[in-house]
Amino acid sequence: MVSLKVENLSKTYGKKTVLNNISFEVKDGEFLSILGPSGCGKTTLLKMIIGIEKPTSGEIIKNGKKITKFDSSKRKMGIVFQNYALFPNMTVLNNVSYALQLKLKNKKRAREESIKILKMVNMEEHLNKYPSELSGGQMQRVAVARTLALKPDIILFDEPMSALDADNRLVLRKELKKIQKQFNTTMIYITHDQEEAFSLSDRVMVMREGNIEQLDKPNTIFNHPKNEYVKQFVTNHLIEKVRSIERCTGIDL
Amino acid sequence: MKKRSKLSIFIFLFLLVSVVFPIFNMLLKIDWSDDSFQKLITSTAFKNALFNSLFVTSIATVISVSLSFFLAYTLNRTNIKHRSILKLLISLPMLIPSISHGLGLINLFGVNGIVTHFFNFNIIGSTGIILGSIIYSFPVAFLIIDDGYFYMDNNIYNAAEVLGMNKWQTFKTVTLCYLKKPLLSAFFAIFTMIFTDYGVPLAVGGKYLTLPVFLYKEVIGLLDYSKGTMIGLFLLIPALISFLFDTFFKNYGNVDGNQKYVVKENKIRDIVATIIVYLIIGFVIVLLGSFIYYAFVNNVMLDKSFSLTHWEYVSSNNLSQYVFNSIFISIMVAIVGTIIGYFSAYVTARIKGKLSKFLHLLTICTLAVPGIVLGLSYTISFNESFIYNTFVILIMVNIVHFIATPYLMAYNALLKVNQNYEVVAKTCNIPMYKIIIDVIIPCTKKTIREMMVYLFVNSMVTISAVTFLFNSKTMPLSLLINNYEGNMMLGEAAVISLIILVINAFVKIIIYVINRKEDRRKVKYEFNEEAI
Repeated sequence: MVSLKVENLSKTYGKKTVLNNISFEVKDGEFLSILGPSGCGKTTLLKMIIGIEKPTSGEIIKNGKKITKFDSSKRKMGIVFQNYALFPNMTVLNNVSYALQLKLKNKKRAREESIKILKMVNMEEHLNKYPSELSGGQMQRVAVARTLALKPDIILFDEPMSALDADNRLVLRKELKKIQKQFNTTMIYITHDQEEAFSLSDRVMVMREGNIEQLDKPNTIFNHPKNEYVKQFVTNHLIEKVRSIERCTGIDL
Repeated sequence: MKKRSKLSIFIFLFLLVSVVFPIFNMLLKIDWSDDSFQKLITSTAFKNALFNSLFVTSIATVISVSLSFFLAYTLNRTNIKHRSILKLLISLPMLIPSISHGLGLINLFGVNGIVTHFFNFNIIGSTGIILGSIIYSFPVAFLIIDDGYFYMDNNIYNAAEVLGMNKWQTFKTVTLCYLKKPLLSAFFAIFTMIFTDYGVPLAVGGKYLTLPVFLYKEVIGLLDYSKGTMIGLFLLIPALISFLFDTFFKNYGNVDGNQKYVVKENKIRDIVATIIVYLIIGFVIVLLGSFIYYAFVNNVMLDKSFSLTHWEYVSSNNLSQYVFNSIFISIMVAIVGTIIGYFSAYVTARIKGKLSKFLHLLTICTLAVPGIVLGLSYTISFNESFIYNTFVILIMVNIVHFIATPYLMAYNALLKVNQNYEVVAKTCNIPMYKIIIDVIIPCTKKTIREMMVYLFVNSMVTISAVTFLFNSKTMPLSLLINNYEGNMMLGEAAVISLIILVINAFVKIIIYVINRKEDRRKVKYEFNEEAI
């Protein structure tokens, strides 16, 4: 079963084309990264999938149903932002249980479920803390837990780790992968970080100026880049890394 | 239709009825058919009033802004002690009507004034207007410039030092660059404020006629609305320039004052600055203190014994009714004005679109309408409607008169609140009103409190916008000062000024205490933090 299908999606602002007639599919339970430099249209694409921006033309189909005109609240999707968007006046637990409580109309059950999910993201020790008392990585865990709690069909991530330091990213990356396997949720992950995209995803979609340059497994993209742009954008970065290791260690890799 | 667009349309309609309609209606009703405009502008009375207004306003503005710049400099760039208390004291003059400043000067320097006993001094006329206008306006200029200091990027000072710039170079290239907009902004705002004020000249101007008093006399005395409007047009000009400048002039200061400026040691500078600041504040306190003296002394000329005669006279003349009127109007303006200001800001800061931009401009353009002109437009436009002669029109005119500033407070605060909350709410199926009540309002509660205080205090002290609109049942307290002062009942006028001062100070102190308590409780969550 196809989880999400994007068909001929376009977005123009006046004369400027941000997305140029793009189509792709995301399979059920798949982890797809959308990779590209800033201004390539990836955030606009995400906004249209989540339903806060309307496409100029094209369709978005979820489980065989056209959802292009659906309100965000009807799409059963969750989103995690780079700046977390946690509610600053609520504790960790309340941040997660707030929406759940409204959904279940049962405070006790909502709290129990929230604690369960917070345990999964290793935040059970911080239930009564406020966001300002947490580190960036911890805040991002809460944001993920808040989204997971509502059991959405698809979770979208908008550069969720850009604000974190390298160590934290590495830890969080592993955890995210674990969570994805555990919940088997379809995830769409926006990033400009090649390493992140390659290490997390089942498939990677490379974008440039509103077009899809290549959509493949990380291996395929790395070994067989479709064109010069993909090669430059994806591999140059990794080659740079290898060279810097060479320079540091003196070993010829 | 979505609830949020309904909100925009509601606010748009409110502004249409309360701002656009009265102003245009007033302008359309000017009778251009005969040569009355020609007659007006060529008349000696008008020419004199215009010249007088320009003369006193220019001098008072230059002094007021320079004084405020000095105060802001002292409080930000020297090691003066008790800054927050000094800031509070500087804002004291904002708690009483402008007419009271004139009254205070008469108490001190009038024919029978306290100081006049020792020195021969004549305050009536241009000197009095200039002095009164300075006292009335400098706290506002101070706040604007002080804000300018707050939003400076203090890292640049470190950079300047590293580059080896001397003090004068640093001042010229860094400080003035950041303060250009606040200083010019203060200049225009104060010019407009003094140019359009009629409280001070009415109290202390004597025969020295200024433009707003001219307008006031034409409308109140001769009921000549058309001529009043023509004069009003001239009052609109500086306000309009000030508004255009503020809206379109680029501002360099945009950094939150996180990086603290380190003041260098300089004892002589600190001592000199402290003495001057204390002298200025001392003068303000003496002026306000004169109300206490006049209010509790039987007769300043003949019998200087303690007495409650003035209080008894005032209270036997419906005082409680007027106090009630003022407090009722001010509370209603504070509540309704805050709701309207807050939700307008919500629409413009958090829902983008063409209507939002238009609403933003429409709301802040109320800054360009002087109170006396706004009041006149309301008289002309609503005199046959059911709201005329009721509290509703007084509340409405005050809301429109003062809404721009609290609106901008809310606008700035709401821009800083994480823009993704609404998206999270949508995807989590949380109704928008719930997210506003449970997250966005708590995040901005300090701003909301400040908006309410601003509206309350200003409604308590205003005389310009309401002067044509009250009747015997709805008359606010501030206008009584005018009556008593006109009849040379200085003791009674002092009593009223004191009551207004005490009520406003009380409200300010309550909010100050609430804010302090909240800070001290070490609230675990901090708002406006970029990371959240």
